[in-house]
Amino acid sequence: MKRLDLSKLGQYVIVIIVAVTLNFALPRLMPGNPLALIAGVDVGLLTAEERAQIIEDVGLNEPILNQYADYWVSIATGDLGQSYRSGRPIKDIIAERLPWTLLLAGGALIISSFFGIILGAISAWRRGGKADVPLLTGMIALQSLPSFWLGMLLISVFAVNLGLLPSFGAISPAANYEGWEYFKDVLEHAILPIVTLSVLSTPGVYLTMRYSMLEVLGEDFIRTARAKGASERRVLFGHVTRNAIAPVVTFLAIRFAFSFGGAVIIETVFSYPGLGRLVFEAVSGRDFPVMQASFLVFTAAVLIANLIADLLYPILDPRTRAA
Amino acid sequence: MNKKRARAVILLLVLALIAAACSSGTTDTTSGDASPATTAAGGTTDPEPTETTAATTDEPVVVRAAVTGGEDTLNPYTYVSGFPGWNMLMLQYDSLMQFDVNGDPQPWLAESVETNDDLTVWTLTLAEGVMFSDGEQLTVDDVEFTFNYFTEKAAGRFARDLRGVESVTTDGDRTITITLDAPNPAFDLVALADIPIIPEHIWSEVTDPEEHQFDSVTNIGSGPYVLVDYVEDQSYRFEANPDYFRGAPAVDELVVVVFADDSGPLAAIRSNEIDVIFERISPEQIDLLDALDPIDISQGPEFTTQMINFDVTKAPFDDIAVRQAISKAVDRQDIVDTVFLGAATVGSPGWVHPEKAVYNPAVAAERDVAGANALLDEAGYTDSDGDGIREFSGGPMSFEMLTNSSDSLRLRIAELVAEMLAEIGIEVTVSSVETATWEEAVWPGFDIANGRNYQMAVWGWSAPVQANTIRVAELVDGNPDIGFLNLTGFSDPAVDAIAEALLTEADPAVSAQQIGELQVLIAEGVPFVLLAYPDGAYAYNSAVYDGWEFIAGQGIVSKLSLLDASARP
Amino acid sequence: MTPPAIPANRPRRLLPRSLADRLGWFGAIIVGFLILMAVFAPRLAPYDPSERVARPFLPPSSEHLLGTNDVGQDLLSELIFGARVSLTVGIVAAVVAMLIGTTVGVIAGYYPKRLGSVLMRFVDVVLILPFLPLLIVLAAYLGRSLTNTIIVIGVLIWAAPARIIRSQVLSLRSREYVLASRSMGAKDRWVILRHILPRTGLLATGSFVRAISGAILLEAALSFLGLGDPIQKSWGSILFWAQSRGAFLTPAWKWWVLPPGLAIMAASLGFALIAFAVEERINPKL
Repeated sequence: MKRLDLSKLGQYVIVIIVAVTLNFALPRLMPGNPLALIAGVDVGLLTAEERAQIIEDVGLNEPILNQYADYWVSIATGDLGQSYRSGRPIKDIIAERLPWTLLLAGGALIISSFFGIILGAISAWRRGGKADVPLLTGMIALQSLPSFWLGMLLISVFAVNLGLLPSFGAISPAANYEGWEYFKDVLEHAILPIVTLSVLSTPGVYLTMRYSMLEVLGEDFIRTARAKGASERRVLFGHVTRNAIAPVVTFLAIRFAFSFGGAVIIETVFSYPGLGRLVFEAVSGRDFPVMQASFLVFTAAVLIANLIADLLYPILDPRTRAA
Repeated sequence: MNKKRARAVILLLVLALIAAACSSGTTDTTSGDASPATTAAGGTTDPEPTETTAATTDEPVVVRAAVTGGEDTLNPYTYVSGFPGWNMLMLQYDSLMQFDVNGDPQPWLAESVETNDDLTVWTLTLAEGVMFSDGEQLTVDDVEFTFNYFTEKAAGRFARDLRGVESVTTDGDRTITITLDAPNPAFDLVALADIPIIPEHIWSEVTDPEEHQFDSVTNIGSGPYVLVDYVEDQSYRFEANPDYFRGAPAVDELVVVVFADDSGPLAAIRSNEIDVIFERISPEQIDLLDALDPIDISQGPEFTTQMINFDVTKAPFDDIAVRQAISKAVDRQDIVDTVFLGAATVGSPGWVHPEKAVYNPAVAAERDVAGANALLDEAGYTDSDGDGIREFSGGPMSFEMLTNSSDSLRLRIAELVAEMLAEIGIEVTVSSVETATWEEAVWPGFDIANGRNYQMAVWGWSAPVQANTIRVAELVDGNPDIGFLNLTGFSDPAVDAIAEALLTEADPAVSAQQIGELQVLIAEGVPFVLLAYPDGAYAYNSAVYDGWEFIAGQGIVSKLSLLDASARP
Repeated sequence: MTPPAIPANRPRRLLPRSLADRLGWFGAIIVGFLILMAVFAPRLAPYDPSERVARPFLPPSSEHLLGTNDVGQDLLSELIFGARVSLTVGIVAAVVAMLIGTTVGVIAGYYPKRLGSVLMRFVDVVLILPFLPLLIVLAAYLGRSLTNTIIVIGVLIWAAPARIIRSQVLSLRSREYVLASRSMGAKDRWVILRHILPRTGLLATGSFVRAISGAILLEAALSFLGLGDPIQKSWGSILFWAQSRGAFLTPAWKWWVLPPGLAIMAASLGFALIAFAVEERINPKL
């Protein structure tokens, strides 16, 4: 067994440092000014002194290196600061938004891995068969759908024309449901965004599964198993699927991590209160602390997912384990 | 190998813990929001006054409204936009005067308002029996406190309203005297009808209002509604204040839903998920929504503006001939018809809206392409290389026009203007940029002392800038302290003289005449090219509630719409 | 910025040759049709798409088969001319992405030690950079124009091909003929040009066509968020206007929303199918 690769660890550290630095730099490189956001209304009515006071209050008058150092301190202490816009602690804001984003991402993950893995396995098992060709073409076609277009059409059909499902938000506003009613409400609101996200992410799972299966099917031990006269079903579920799953899990882990960035377009179309909308609004208003913090969450999620994928791969893939 | 597996298990555990921590975090906030709501409701002395029960049917009227973009915790220091943020804020608070349907200030918390001849001393008599929603009486001390508090702890808009206030004194229980250091004929409009009166017993303990987080216990005003529930970027819930001094409001509960984009509310009102949109709807939606039953439209002229700005300090826009030619070449009527489908008023070159009493019809715009071309020819801007574009000292007259990408109507205006200016040999390339970028180019740091980083731009002001006509000095005066909204860098001593005189003119007749002259000067000097005043149009479900009142120039989002007809001024 | 959909180590054959070819031809027919439409747009389109030829918001009629948009421009003409902008953006942005991606991938693969690992860390960072602000920063510094939309998209999508190409170069590097020519004292540049590039070139073709497919979708998404150039008549900008003038919720969706969305899908699908077939073809040679 190899010990943890030190140089690999070093590489992670470098990526973290560069990414954090860019997270700090990007907001400040953007043209525009957070003043309007901090001062709120009628920023044009402020006097020069009032403007200077506001800039000083939030520490934007400090030398850029001090601000940069402060950012590192805030990361180290876990105190992400306060939003310019609402003045609320960012930790609270993110804790509020994250579950909604995870609900969408998790729901889409479950649905797309269910369909993606099963259909991918069928496709690969009967490669070039009656099911494979339409499935493959159909999946590539789904991948080619513009996401906002799909979302808007779903709203148009299911919410506006049929009136079956709510068109916006995560819960019915100010309804104060409890228990089962609340659960139902959340579910109803999540259906359309989750369906949209699932439609868009199933093809990726499907293609990965299909590739991975085909690779495994070509290997000696499968041929041996088949030659030994094991039943098709046994070979499929007992050997092939188990061996083909590792790349799919890696793919899903990283895909899930990327969802911490929020689904900006989907959350905007459905007015869904997740991280993506938080980021979009922070970016439009130049809410530096919120931008930095949400980028940080995103960066961390992706790096952790990579790490987990690195660690899980050998466990999931019996071949690497045997080697 | 076991070690590896253990490592993975630990990682998973950590993840699970994080997930658990996150979800418990949200439960806390929700319950935290909900519990003060019940306290506030229980705190009111008489939940069901006999009058209201007799007047209304048994079903409480609940109206669900839509806004685009959140307004934070909606106290005087945290609300976000001038519209509809201020309008929503004022559901919880009252001002000393209140706009009536015509947009004129009428006595409200102050039951009478008197001034001396030169408009420097304003004497108010407070209405009797006004209570804050926590049951405390609203007194003259609260008024005095409010004025001092906003002056000391500057809240941009309200602090500026109060500039020029020399002293505020109280006399007895009901009289307040405000002394100004100079005559201010619009003090009622800009200050008395604008400033929310806040309770001293709450705010005297607030030292840093920008930081202070308010909730339903501390968001206390005397207004017709109490904000009982707020979920960031999702919704607000207002409950009627049954003890409101003008009588209990007609709408018992108002839920305001926050949307992420403009099309969300349009879908939701169609699917019956909301009952009214607290934003102007896009012109093409007016007929479409009106055709649906039971949706109706409340429409009227408003004071927002769409205009072309240019950098007057740089060639060739420093030449009055060029500016005049542009103003002559644009077809304002075409913009109104094509972009706004008729739901707008043609822009007056003299700035003042034709609906206003002081509008000077002599300045009305007429399109004159030949005249514009002649002006440019005379001034020496000719097309010497025959490419259809005139030249000036700095090269071809080819300019970039900035618009903000979030306003699609503005983008269409820019495209049409580019077509129109091509007819007089000026080439315009439209550049649509993200809103903050556009603001930073036209109005860097929101301080005109920082200059300008654009050639041409489509710009617009919100209603208050137009609503108060004597504020025109802010837009055109060459002195940056007075003309702090003079984004184009325009400067003309004749304009300055009248604009500044206007600010302190006490005699309405003289004032009206000065405004008339000023419009002529502005139309000639062309500090900007006013294209149109878009109408306000608001969609509502008439089956749920149809008492919406359109305040001239300001629209339907105000407490007037929600009060009983008899309680409106 | 989605994770790469395909693992770098690919199985030998995904479909029997004839089937893969058939899918590829299907894609090629779609793409060929769209390219013809783009090339002959001025002849095919009944009107000049930037001219206001009728009243705004007209439903389809014999004069305007898809009706008119919010300022009275002919929607069918916009759709036909949209092929020009959308395909140009897609193809050129993919070229930009492949130029960067191949350069970085080849260098990182050929010099895997210091230079390579530094470059790959850079690729990692690019892959996890927050997309939206990066876009605004780039757009702000470059200004808004078609060329810059292309550059922005190219800069956003080069990292994934760079990874794939690097892993390919890594394996080529240890092939016998490469080792042989290196041991005979061949210069690096010669080895790269003679042995590495021709073989990665094949693999890059697949990535390239796939990148076109992605770039077309990205252009549409940018336009929808208002971050593209809505003045350009691309399919994405037709949808931007449809969305901002409420066409999704009215009967107009049938003639204003559906056609450009389907066109985007067709273009993206066509290129993706070609990419699939090309990768099939190349695979056995790897």
